[in-house]
Amino acid sequence: MLTQDRLWSEAVILEAGENRVLRVQSTRDAFLCLKNHWPIADGEAKRDAFAACERVIDGDDEPDVARTAFIKAAEEAQFSVHSWTG
Amino acid sequence: MAGYEDKMIRVRDVMSRQVFTVSPTDTAQSVARLMAETGVGAVPVETPGVGTILGIVTDRDIVTSVVAQGLSSSTAVFEFMTVAAESCEEDDSLLLAAQKMHDLRIRRLVVVNGKRHAAGIVALGDISRANPELGGLVLEGINRPAPVDTQLEGMSTC
Repeated sequence: MLTQDRLWSEAVILEAGENRVLRVQSTRDAFLCLKNHWPIADGEAKRDAFAACERVIDGDDEPDVARTAFIKAAEEAQFSVHSWTG
Repeated sequence: MAGYEDKMIRVRDVMSRQVFTVSPTDTAQSVARLMAETGVGAVPVETPGVGTILGIVTDRDIVTSVVAQGLSSSTAVFEFMTVAAESCEEDDSLLLAAQKMHDLRIRRLVVVNGKRHAAGIVALGDISRANPELGGLVLEGINRPAPVDTQLEGMSTC
């Protein structure tokens, strides 16, 4: 499934502390961040973001839907979110 | 001869068909995340929306061209990828692919179709599994000393 990627219109930059920055600009990458590099094990916004990423990767939704859901999940995980279009 | 042709192993018989590609504007960080997830060490770079293969990025490129140079993890792929990845076609013989790896001292070839879209990847390991002797020859070629330019500095041929 990860062979299909959909780029976002703009990157989302997440900061956690002074030394950790995640820069994400595609649905596939957001999916991998949620799966492997996320500070909280579970959360409503995280689950929604996972579902949105899967829909987009399957071609059933638009990339920016995943982006918006990913930003909400990042806020839930208490990342500092940098994005012009939040 | 026809019998020989029938038995000839082709690239399509040994290649990995699961290809993970990245876009030129992806970052070193996102490529590294993809490599960690999938276990692959090289990903072709394709033009988004078109699918044409522009180059290739290896885990070694990230280490030597980004980390070692002190560049940011947000460095875009187009800044450090190898442009025009060496490629072969599915119908090429294994021998031809092995010869190419040997001559170019590389361990992987992108397998492309008629539209130059990625159809797979063939690695030295794939060749070695199908034909250990051939794989050994390629490895020997890769490890051979690089040709030394014997021309002295400041001199030119006429």
